Amino acid sequence: MQAYQEKYIENIKEIAALLDVARGGDPETEKIRRIEAKKKSEILRKENIDLLNRNLFTCLDELHTVSEDAIKELEEFSDVLMDWTTNLDCGIYLLIHEALLTLYRFRKDRNNIIKELYKVGMGLYYQNRSVQGVESPLTHSLYFEAEMMFSEASSYLKYFAEIPDEETKGYIIRSLANIAICTHDLKKKVDISRKVLQIVQDPYYQELAPGLPWDVFLRRTHQQMSSNRAVMSRGNLSAEELASVLESCQYVFEPEAHKGDPNVRWLWPYYEMEYSCGFVDIDTTLDRMEKLISDADEKQFDASAMYANCQLPIYYGTLLKRNQNIRNRKRRLDYLKDAYDKMMRVAMAYPVDDGIDYFSYLMTLIITDYYETSGVPSYKEITTKLIRKLSGVSYLRSLVAQKIASYLCESILSEDPAFFDDIPFIGEEKDIQRKKELLCDYGENCALYYDFGLLKMNLERLMRSRNLLEREYEIYQLHTVSGHDDLASRESTEIYADCTYGHHAWYDGVNGYPAEYVRNESVYRQMTDVIALVSYLVEAYDNDTTKNVKEIIQTEKKRFSPVLLAMLMDDEHMGKIQSLLEEQ
Amino acid sequence: MTRGYALVTVKEEGQTILFQTESFDVNDLREKISFSKEMELWISGDDQQYEDTLKLLNEAREENQAKETFLSNMSHDIRTPMNAIIGLTSLAKNHLDEKARVADSLNKIEVASGHLLSLINEVLDMSRINSGRLSINEEQFWLSDLLHETLTVSKPQMAEKQHHFTFKTDNILYESLYGDTLRLRQIFVNIINNSVKYTPDHGEIEVSFSQEMQDERCVLCFRCQDNGIGMSEEFLKKVFDPFERANSTTISRIEGTGLGMSIVKKLVETMNGTISIQSKLNEGTTVEIRIPLRYEKAAVNDKALKNRNILVLENDKEVHDRILSYLQEYDLSFKETTTFNGAISLLTDSEFANEKTDVLLLGEIGEATGDLFDVASYLHKAHPEMTIILVGDQDWNDIEYRANRSGIEHFIPLPLFRKSLINGIAAALKDDSHDHLTGGLDLSGKRILLVEDNFINREIAKEILSSTKVDLDTAENGQEALDKYLSDTHYDAILMDVQMPLMNGYEATKAIRSSGKEDAKTIRIFAMTANTFAEDVAKAKEAGMDSHIAKPIDVHKLMQTLKTI
Repeated sequence: MQAYQEKYIENIKEIAALLDVARGGDPETEKIRRIEAKKKSEILRKENIDLLNRNLFTCLDELHTVSEDAIKELEEFSDVLMDWTTNLDCGIYLLIHEALLTLYRFRKDRNNIIKELYKVGMGLYYQNRSVQGVESPLTHSLYFEAEMMFSEASSYLKYFAEIPDEETKGYIIRSLANIAICTHDLKKKVDISRKVLQIVQDPYYQELAPGLPWDVFLRRTHQQMSSNRAVMSRGNLSAEELASVLESCQYVFEPEAHKGDPNVRWLWPYYEMEYSCGFVDIDTTLDRMEKLISDADEKQFDASAMYANCQLPIYYGTLLKRNQNIRNRKRRLDYLKDAYDKMMRVAMAYPVDDGIDYFSYLMTLIITDYYETSGVPSYKEITTKLIRKLSGVSYLRSLVAQKIASYLCESILSEDPAFFDDIPFIGEEKDIQRKKELLCDYGENCALYYDFGLLKMNLERLMRSRNLLEREYEIYQLHTVSGHDDLASRESTEIYADCTYGHHAWYDGVNGYPAEYVRNESVYRQMTDVIALVSYLVEAYDNDTTKNVKEIIQTEKKRFSPVLLAMLMDDEHMGKIQSLLEEQ
Repeated sequence: MTRGYALVTVKEEGQTILFQTESFDVNDLREKISFSKEMELWISGDDQQYEDTLKLLNEAREENQAKETFLSNMSHDIRTPMNAIIGLTSLAKNHLDEKARVADSLNKIEVASGHLLSLINEVLDMSRINSGRLSINEEQFWLSDLLHETLTVSKPQMAEKQHHFTFKTDNILYESLYGDTLRLRQIFVNIINNSVKYTPDHGEIEVSFSQEMQDERCVLCFRCQDNGIGMSEEFLKKVFDPFERANSTTISRIEGTGLGMSIVKKLVETMNGTISIQSKLNEGTTVEIRIPLRYEKAAVNDKALKNRNILVLENDKEVHDRILSYLQEYDLSFKETTTFNGAISLLTDSEFANEKTDVLLLGEIGEATGDLFDVASYLHKAHPEMTIILVGDQDWNDIEYRANRSGIEHFIPLPLFRKSLINGIAAALKDDSHDHLTGGLDLSGKRILLVEDNFINREIAKEILSSTKVDLDTAENGQEALDKYLSDTHYDAILMDVQMPLMNGYEATKAIRSSGKEDAKTIRIFAMTANTFAEDVAKAKEAGMDSHIAKPIDVHKLMQTLKTI
């Protein structure tokens, strides 16, 4: 690797460490550490941008003329950026391989085209995972593009014998298998995996490429096939297709499940398969889950303990949600409450510094699938704790945002007591003091939640490491939709969803995002206007602390509510907001 | 006393003229109407003539009554959208600072204006027909175009009411016909839209077209059948009378002037055609129209297609089979598939066999995750030498921009007929010098300045652009680019590298934009850079660049960008 590449990787790791270190402990010490971490990471971020500008982009600009050695170094660099266990920088990985694909297409270099199709497909797939579950044309398009890349690479399978290079043959097999991970069509997933299973066990192919890891291909394909177990009852699968899924489940889970002391991470999928196939009923399945959860030691943080303590309660909740008419529902719900309580105790005690990637994954799981129902802690209670635990430097910003939002609500209310009356629970309150309390609390919570969607995206480290690339920025914009969808689907947080949805939309509707947000259709629009102003001020100040709040508002006036600005554009208000920002 | 008309013959001139009068008492007329001395009023004492006169008077009275009803209806129909326009304009003026609200009002005003315009057009049509001023043009047209345009207009309303629509063609003898396409479309759209309007949601509508020969003319037979509210026998008798509209409790707010069917009948008759309607209340309606048209035996230009390889990607079985049967009929070489994966696989086969695939006929794709344009874009990127023709029922005007950006160069509309398919493909390939690498982009007469400090990059760009016939000038840095731009030479666009010695691309662009030269603000400047940081893309736009092309240069992207100059 070249020196700049090594330095870039070193910086990314250091920034990640700085962000991780900045969590937990005494609030005051934590605040100081966070500020220091932020300053240091900002220096590294600027250095990274410079490294890419001066070196990588120049190299890609002149890719037709760079040496083969330089291309090899680029590939080595990209391999470190994303090695499928650690995603250091998927965006730059993708940028490099897209450029290489263009180069090899131009050169009509078939083997390298196949390799790059595979790599670009993987990059697109991983990039899209950061917005998993968000329904948007962009996410569909990214998955489909990845599928097209894999399809093109795998179309060379019929020329397997004619392609002499074994490495290329490996990419062809891998690409074929990976079509299954890009499609949502269960039947297609199963068909593809069945085809791959046939190929990887076929002596014809094995003899043509004896050096390929056929046993690994076989195991991975069975794993891929077995991942269809939970949804196979929902697809229109034939008997043969169902049998294939079962066979793969048995291949993957049975040996582990029948051990003397089976690992819970293998045992539960095996139980799940038995339930999905109708071998055991829902009651037995829930009983089995309860035992696995109850047996887990909550003082342990290894992968198996975390799986049982934190992931299984979520799966348990999902099963209860899907099976509304089960026997002993009341007792099951009581158990769910205990399981969720245990999950949160473990999650809050988890040493994030040891495994930020795992904790992010767990956070995503909880945010997406938490079952809010009577008797269990509310979604608001759970997510508030998680935000405080995970969001690190960003949480500091959100504290300031909450203070400014509260101040603005109070100020506006004193000038125009009916300003927020379109919001049903505010308009209905006649007691002015109580109204003020309700409003300030509401404003603070909206300020806490406006970037809620970002938690699932795991973009914070990337944004602290360098500027976002164009496509990443498009993905980033989906945090408004993702956050809105999760908040709106739970009773305890639905009133905050609108602010999350519309806080990047401009008041005039001409600019900003998402395009689907229509200000005039929302009863919460006045608060969304407030949060749009707050979030912009906090971010602008965070990016450049020399900025004066009045200047920020004046230069970006068009994006904010003119009514709101008319109320706030005086020295007293501006001075107060400025001092709150400086607390950051 | 009833207000009405009296029919009076002026003896001297032999004319029959109509006077408006308060009375129908013939004897009173002489007293009520004053005449000039030169005219002698004659009112026949003959009984038969008297009866005839009275009959005419009654008819005039009925027509008058209908016109009054019409005016009353029209008054309501015109007032409703007018009120919306006036009200919304006022609302928008009151909220000028709220762009979203103004935009919302303008959108609604646009809809109301469109409705008002169609009302006015129908009234004017009726007026033209009644005064005998309607002329029917006769020009050559392709049947496929007429049917495609007709369906394109009707389908959105159909989709809105979620009707199940079946379209059939049968026994199409001649595709090249002569007639007034505007009026023909008006007839068919009117009948289909009536079916849409008078059929409750989720109804069934079937439209078919066929042809038969009669007296050396090709008769275009149209049939539209629905299971809508139908018509009573009584109403059926009056269906072609002007200003008549069916009332229904099951379909609310049916809009229209009540002139449509009357206009249709007059138009059909003017074209020497016939129209018939069968209908039963609450069961549905069938309208049949037969219009004799002149035709020509259009020649098929299949020479350009010999030794060409065609790939068909179409998931709709009916269209797929039809394409294949036409291609077979003309003995053309093709491969076919119904899926994207199949297409990729066949293209790989061709590549391995060192065969060129000249044309992709791209129809409906089977994949659930991606859309047509994603597929086109991907295939064009992977196989830029291949011409992509979209075969579809979309409105080309709506999709042309996106289609072109995805590498789709031509469009063949559905419903599909053999000659429109073959000639469509031939037209796409007609120019033997067509360079598929550049998508046939012809930039002759245009001059582009390529600013690039890397020699090899310059050479590659030159080679790619050479086949577009563009007049290409080059500069090695921003300063040289600025100097060349400020010289007397005119450029249509500038392809600007960003990182360059002496003066970078941003600085050069800023200098060009602020140079004061006549086209300084309008000349298209495209950044060429591998830097796709969102902030830098924004910076490029701030500097005055129109858009950017990623490096290393992808031919597909470059051509799509240059298409815009």
